[in-house]
Amino acid sequence: MKRFNKKLLTLSSAICLAGAINAAQADTIKIAIAGPVTGPVAQYGDMQKIGALMAIEQINKAGGINGDTLEGVIYDDACDPKQAVAVANKIVNDDIQHVIGHLCSSSTEPASDIYEEEGVLMITAASTSPTITEKGYQTIFRTIGLDSMQGPFAARYVVNTIKPKNMAIIHDKQQYGEGLATAVKNVVEEAGIKPVMFEGVTAGDKDFSALIAKLKRNNVDFVYYGGYHPELGLILRQSREKGFTAKFMGPEGVGNADISKIAGEASEGLLVTLPQSFDQDPANQALVAAFKEKNEDPTGPFVFPAYSAVQVMTESMKATGKSDPEALAAHLRSTSFDTTTGKLEFDAKGDLKDFSFVVYDWHADGTKSPAK
Amino acid sequence: MTETSLYVIQQLINGLTIGSTYALIAIGYTMVYGIIGMINFAHGEIYMIGSYISFIVIAGLLGMGFISLPVILIVALIVAVVIASTYGWTIERVAYRPLRGSNRLIPLISAIGMSIFLQNYVALSQSSRDVALPPQITGGWTFGDPSVFEVSFSYMQLLIWSATLLVMVLLTLFISRSRMGRACRACSEDLGMTNLLGIDTNRIIALTFIVGAALAAIAGLLLGLYYGVVNPYIGFIAGLKAFTAAVLGGIGSIPGAMLGGLILGVTEAMTSAFFPSEYKDVVSFGLLVLILLFRPSGILGKPEVEKV
Repeated sequence: MKRFNKKLLTLSSAICLAGAINAAQADTIKIAIAGPVTGPVAQYGDMQKIGALMAIEQINKAGGINGDTLEGVIYDDACDPKQAVAVANKIVNDDIQHVIGHLCSSSTEPASDIYEEEGVLMITAASTSPTITEKGYQTIFRTIGLDSMQGPFAARYVVNTIKPKNMAIIHDKQQYGEGLATAVKNVVEEAGIKPVMFEGVTAGDKDFSALIAKLKRNNVDFVYYGGYHPELGLILRQSREKGFTAKFMGPEGVGNADISKIAGEASEGLLVTLPQSFDQDPANQALVAAFKEKNEDPTGPFVFPAYSAVQVMTESMKATGKSDPEALAAHLRSTSFDTTTGKLEFDAKGDLKDFSFVVYDWHADGTKSPAK
Repeated sequence: MTETSLYVIQQLINGLTIGSTYALIAIGYTMVYGIIGMINFAHGEIYMIGSYISFIVIAGLLGMGFISLPVILIVALIVAVVIASTYGWTIERVAYRPLRGSNRLIPLISAIGMSIFLQNYVALSQSSRDVALPPQITGGWTFGDPSVFEVSFSYMQLLIWSATLLVMVLLTLFISRSRMGRACRACSEDLGMTNLLGIDTNRIIALTFIVGAALAAIAGLLLGLYYGVVNPYIGFIAGLKAFTAAVLGGIGSIPGAMLGGLILGVTEAMTSAFFPSEYKDVVSFGLLVLILLFRPSGILGKPEVEKV
């Protein structure tokens, strides 16, 4: 009996000790980074991942959040809506309350339903479909512009600078591509340009020879493409082979060095609307150097928006002293933030109040320069 | 010539090109079905692997400083055909032979498993991004008045047509004239009886997988050169289209697969030509449903005779 008591004593003191150590130790706040790690658009997932991880690393280096450290956890939704739902459920089950992502609008939308219901804070750095924030959700934000901003911006450039005679609008029938294409169509039609073609192609298709023959037959001199680079790259390449020489324009979904690998010379002169090149901003040069040191490419369009998504999330944690998503969401709406992508302010829907795009001339070596 | 007829000729050229490659892949489905009555769902992945191997070989040879294009293409062709055939043989060995004689659904599931395995294996070992190759065969002919409509026919398209034609002729000769070909035909008529007559049917079945895989690898090389892009997911859609072509032409019939491929390719091109291109798949698969309603065994398929 005596011995038993002794044992109990040591055990309980050990437990007390362990508790004390725990209390002294700083907590870890986990942040899920959800986007495509595999699949045809994995390179965009990479941009988001390196941006967010860099932000987490820098914030930890600077002392973390009131003594707590951040940890980034990568989840792969392969840009597939079904997998995105599974990933969202897994994040909830893993008890993570903060998400950077998802990437593709078609994945973000179903995932955001789950986050809202479970009270998880989600900030996407890449999804531009307007419908995501139209449901009046409380914990869903984004640090990138909307198709409803980018489409009209591109369309105004077409109307004022290109002034095409026969314009065609092609899209990939997906939420992102068709949304943009429709926005462009509406604005150019208002300005009196009637597109001669408005058609969808199937994402994943490889043969566009029939489409190109049709563009040629309609004497199209300008094509706006709503979609991603794998299809547009092939359309450009096959156009060149078939002697179809119209000018092409696409959204940020095509603005990726891979389009030059696929299309080669044919990608020279492609017009791309992109968010400002934040890596060119003098204020960000220390960060650019940090990316280069890790052998990462900071030029992708989603790298800095992902970085600032982590920034606004952690700034709010610091300001409120809490990591509770609802408190953070309220704080995000209430103030403005100085980030690597400029001064950010959120409206009631969780969208940025202001986000500017630039038209770039794409070059065959995968670089870009501002279009005149 | 009028503008419309030139336009139709152009779309016919486009359709026959894509149709030829459907036909090459479709033969693999039809041969396997003709003999063991199973659909080899991993066949599309063989096409994908053939494409990857030819890319690796071409890029490697170019990198080593070889400049003679015919030599590079022939080496790529041989390597792709040999390795893809090995994959075809292995699939038969691993996913089909151990299950022969079991319920018909079981090998179907194992083939789907094999297909998913190969797709992910390539995605993990080669990364899931698009891999691109600069155009190797450029140029072509154009005819028609440029102010009306200029029809273009590229050397690459000619290569696809002639390679497909040559392969089809060789395959037809092989099936109709050679000893092995005769054994194949015997197996397709009655597998059990052929076995009783002393022909090693296991070898013949392995052979059909190898021949099918070799043709898929040729299609992989040709389409890889034509489009200049591969990724691990191209096998799925190509396989689906080729399978449709095989069913359209009459599954089990080799001339049927050839015809089915060409019909499917031309239908797709013509639909894109005169309707919005998003209706392309609706029309070609609608055509499939119609043909199956009125000729359930396909265009050239033999009506199924109930064996007593």
